[in-house]
Amino acid sequence: MNVVVCVKQVPEVTDAELEINKEGIGILKEDLEFDINEWDNYAVEEAVRIKEAHGGKVIVITLGDEDSEDVLRVALAMGADEAIRIDEEAFELSDAAGIAQGLYHVIRDLSFDLLLTGAQSSDYGWGQVGPILAELLGLPYASLVVGIEIDEGKMIVHRELESNTQEKVEIPLPAVLTIQTGINNPRYVSIMGIQKVRKIEIKETDSGELGLSEEEIGLMGSCVASQELSLPAVGEGAKILTGSLNEICEKTAQIIRDKAGVI
Amino acid sequence: MGGANNKNCELVGTTMIPYRISYWHIQPAWIFYLLAAVAVGIFIFGLITHVSVWIKGIKRQAIHLSWSGTSNLLLDGLLGLRIFRGDIAAGTIHLLILWGFSGLFVGTVLISVDYWLHHFLKGSVYLWYSTCLEIVGLMLLVGLVWSLIRRYLQHVPRLERRLEDLTVVVLLFVVVLSGFMVEGLRLAAQRPDWALWSFAGHWMSLLWTNHHQGALSIYPYVWWAHALLSLGLIAFIPYSKLFHMLAAPASIYLENQPLQAIPVETRGQDDEVFSYRDMIFFDACTRCGRCVEACPSTGAGEPFAPRDFIVWTRNDLLMKYHPLNHFDWFTNWIKRRHTREHVFDTQKIWYCTTCRACLDVCPVYVATPDTIRQARGKVVEEGIQVPSLLTQTLKNLYKYNNPWEATKKKRAKRSQDLEIPDLSKGEEAKGLCYFVGCTTSMDIRAQELARSFARILKHAQIPFAILGNKEPCCGDIARRAGEDGLFEKQMEDSVELLGRYGIRDVVTSSPHCFHTFRNEYPAFQALKPAEERLELRVRHYTMLLRELVTAGSLRLERPLNVKVTYHDPCYLGRHNRIFDAPREIIAAIPGVEMVEMAHNRANSLCCGGGGGRIWQEDLDADVNMAEIRIREAEAAGAEIIITACPLCLIMLEDARKTSSLEYAVRVMDLNELVATALSPPVLGGENHECCGMRKTGS
Amino acid sequence: MDDILVLAEHRNGELRDITFEMLTLANKLSRENNLAVTALFLGHEVSDLSERLKCACDRVILMEDPELANYSADPYLMAMETVIKDRKPMLTMIGHTAIGMDLAPAMTARLALPLVTDCVEVTLEDGRLKVLREIYGGKINAQLAMKPSDQYLISLRTGSFAAEAEQGKSGNVETVPAPAWTNLKGRRFLGYLEAELEDVDIEAADILVSIGRGIGKPENIPLAQDFADSIGATLACSRPVADEEWLPKSRQVGTSGKTVRPKIYIALGISGAYQHQVGMKNADTIIAVNTDPRAPIFNIAHYGIVADLLKVLPLLREEFVKK
Repeated sequence: MNVVVCVKQVPEVTDAELEINKEGIGILKEDLEFDINEWDNYAVEEAVRIKEAHGGKVIVITLGDEDSEDVLRVALAMGADEAIRIDEEAFELSDAAGIAQGLYHVIRDLSFDLLLTGAQSSDYGWGQVGPILAELLGLPYASLVVGIEIDEGKMIVHRELESNTQEKVEIPLPAVLTIQTGINNPRYVSIMGIQKVRKIEIKETDSGELGLSEEEIGLMGSCVASQELSLPAVGEGAKILTGSLNEICEKTAQIIRDKAGVI
Repeated sequence: MGGANNKNCELVGTTMIPYRISYWHIQPAWIFYLLAAVAVGIFIFGLITHVSVWIKGIKRQAIHLSWSGTSNLLLDGLLGLRIFRGDIAAGTIHLLILWGFSGLFVGTVLISVDYWLHHFLKGSVYLWYSTCLEIVGLMLLVGLVWSLIRRYLQHVPRLERRLEDLTVVVLLFVVVLSGFMVEGLRLAAQRPDWALWSFAGHWMSLLWTNHHQGALSIYPYVWWAHALLSLGLIAFIPYSKLFHMLAAPASIYLENQPLQAIPVETRGQDDEVFSYRDMIFFDACTRCGRCVEACPSTGAGEPFAPRDFIVWTRNDLLMKYHPLNHFDWFTNWIKRRHTREHVFDTQKIWYCTTCRACLDVCPVYVATPDTIRQARGKVVEEGIQVPSLLTQTLKNLYKYNNPWEATKKKRAKRSQDLEIPDLSKGEEAKGLCYFVGCTTSMDIRAQELARSFARILKHAQIPFAILGNKEPCCGDIARRAGEDGLFEKQMEDSVELLGRYGIRDVVTSSPHCFHTFRNEYPAFQALKPAEERLELRVRHYTMLLRELVTAGSLRLERPLNVKVTYHDPCYLGRHNRIFDAPREIIAAIPGVEMVEMAHNRANSLCCGGGGGRIWQEDLDADVNMAEIRIREAEAAGAEIIITACPLCLIMLEDARKTSSLEYAVRVMDLNELVATALSPPVLGGENHECCGMRKTGS
Repeated sequence: MDDILVLAEHRNGELRDITFEMLTLANKLSRENNLAVTALFLGHEVSDLSERLKCACDRVILMEDPELANYSADPYLMAMETVIKDRKPMLTMIGHTAIGMDLAPAMTARLALPLVTDCVEVTLEDGRLKVLREIYGGKINAQLAMKPSDQYLISLRTGSFAAEAEQGKSGNVETVPAPAWTNLKGRRFLGYLEAELEDVDIEAADILVSIGRGIGKPENIPLAQDFADSIGATLACSRPVADEEWLPKSRQVGTSGKTVRPKIYIALGISGAYQHQVGMKNADTIIAVNTDPRAPIFNIAHYGIVADLLKVLPLLREEFVKK
């Protein structure tokens, strides 16, 4: 079973204080740490487990700059066999469809049984690339997958729905799945592990090689005309409510109503 | 024990020179030599099977002459001192058996020397010789019987009752008993005048008082029986617990050897994680169970015991490297033993807190904490069986230079109000460097430790500085988790940074940092050329405080009128033997009454935070380890439990909240206690409970 | 046709809240831009459900077919394709839900329509669509202006828009035939799996009222429960409470309990130790009540009350019971 996994390198933002750049269209990244997108990490782990159970190989692909090779190395250390990087240069300011186009142009030449992507990425959270790839490739797909059983050419997958429900879906192979967090326990990758895969060559390509034109990708290909970033209006630390106890409770009740919607 | 030759027969009872005829009435003697050769051959094969496992271990562990190793060998190898700890009966039994057996062994050697080299066992030499042998033989018998009583009648909990335990003791017993029988029969037949010197044999011989001919006729049979049993015993040694006779002295001596640093990139792909020293540890274990009794994890009802790990790993290594492992019957037999005897699996290695209680009590010095660490190293490389919280912690360490998942910027935030020279801000390095440590910097409760210490230093006018945002992580957590690659990276970063700022004198908050800098960095630094090595004087803060107290630089004048107890942190106490300094500091504070808990000093009970456990909360336990400690403090009648480690502080504080004793025992770091006692007091009445019950909602 | 098409979402015979949230927004936009609001109902034997939408839109398009009984990507895609190609709505709205995340991206590829997902605010002016999205885990807001287009496709985040079922409209229900199901790619819906309910699943709750050691004793828990009931919240707790077994472990939030991301997390008498914070720090709004102003919970809470929770609870409850 050959599995292809799309991965992305994203900045770690949970504890960081983010700042917006001068132009207002991006964040400052110098002080940030980067890592593999959490959903993609689960996807790589799942792919490696499938390989360990059914044989075959795992190919990971990313669209990013040179630094994003780090996430490819992590994937290789987890057990992937080959890695491909599409240079992101012409793809800046692409929308999800543009990214998917880039990936599609590489993936359509690969032979695989299963294509996995993360359900979304922690930076922009579009959550689109997986199903778009499925459409472009003409393959059946399912998103938000939390469980996969493979049995002779078809799969039964569990999709995560709201309110702690799941649905069972049958899909034939080859297919595309987008992976939800919690599907497995991604293995730890040690420093030595990364060292060991240092020598594996990462194939590189770019939009020119793939024959993509400006109109298809980048700002020109995007459906977004412009974007403006801003910080949400929340101060650091709690806003301590003041007043008499009654007043405080009134204010609190109002906050609860606002934030919850209708109560 | 008898020998046989054809030299002197029937020359008994008439001469006045006491001696014993070897191989008296035993023919043909050559059969004995043949059997002996077979026995020795089997013994050697057994020995080879052990050694063949040992040599598969990493060999880069040098052996040096070590005075403490030698003294351990003498005290624990010869006298079995550790066996006496907490169990005088056991110590006595082992002494009886050890000296009994050794005595008989030496006696046999002497007989051979007497027979083959120079006949010296005659006259009074012989008489004393025979009496000594009686004594040691009886010692051995008494020891064996007593051991059976303890294991099978008294049912001492830590002792197992496996077939092997019974077989070994019974075999020894029968060998010695048959030896006395042989002697008895011989004395009954020969009736020499000096028979009483061999008093036990003499008593035996009374059974055949009027049957000398009968005695003579059965004598050869019993002699052969005894010979076969003895040879069988010799052959059996490497295949049973008896092997510890050989492995234990090696283990005892080797434990003391300084740990060799083996950088990860010098390790081969297929290298075993254990060194040959570790392999010998596994072989030396006699399954006595003292470690199980001492282990805080077992005590808390967790599914972990050091003995289980050692035995399981030993079986694992046997299956991998034993010369017979090509045979299915062998591997199947080991596997059956594996599953039947102890239920252990890879996931359980994460329970160990590396507190060292097991090593402290082990009579053969099996360094379980080290071997657990190596075993973890293997699991970490594979990556699959690492607990997910620990995975996250290690990743955080790699990315953020601290395991607490906070950005580098937050590290120095809390100390900003204290006006401490911050080297990362380019301020000048004066005096010593206070290495605050990751936990103390990040955890809100533990930050009090740093604040108090900083204020104490200012009060005593000791110049110092901190590294602020640049402070690296010493790498302790990576090391304990077996992630040596990450540890070495952290170490390199730390060394580079300390070198860059020219830091030579460091005082740490955490005993873990102290231990890592003092005991683990040097081995790696020694691999570098001299000019690149980090030369660092490192102290734990209790050492500095003790110096200040002794020198009178701290005016501890406020009487606190409180009863406290002191919890010895594992990495300060057991690992580094610093028990007195904190106590001296406490004793110097007026109005403080110090009571000891039931487990103190080297017996201290681990708080459960070490070995990476402070970052894992999903372990299966009956009771929380720290809670056991809080209850001990309460039982000792203490109002405050003082500790000297930020991890202990957090673990005990958390346990205090969950035990229903929240308002009975308070938890404080030693710095906080000292700071409160300074005159004028240096605590600004902040988030602090000290004297006066201040309730915190939690 | 100039209208706003809203895909009504339903499951197991019940309309989901997002439907009304979208319809409310659609109506607001329609008023501002003089557009009609059409609700699209795909399903099987769901006509009575579709009736309920009549008051909220100008028209209900109902397509019934056994293939549409439960959501599955291919039939829904084909259905949407049919309707959109026929009606050419200016704006199509789908919920950013398990259905929407599955459906919308495939639609953008198949229909070549611009798609922006997970919007929390939407404005439409002179045919130009502008949306607000939260990125980087909610730490940054991104205001996007879309390029001009005849048709847009958007998905909306649940709970971001007010929902009013009654819009004062009375749409007709128009039944349309399902297309021929060609080119179904073999994906088949097999069934739903209800997770084993412990007693209550705190991860599914929108509002959590979480108690810590500060509750004092189990006798005080009903106070918290009453308050929770008054706002439709679920009771959760921190470790000490679960360890004491005052509440079942299934209610515990934290590293050894559950990680929750509710809309509102009310922490009562919880100090906010790291191990607890990890389990709840990504809640949208955190309100903390604690007598200790230095309690770490106040570092990650959005709003704080320094007071005794036992005094605060009855007063808070009153706010919701009387109104």
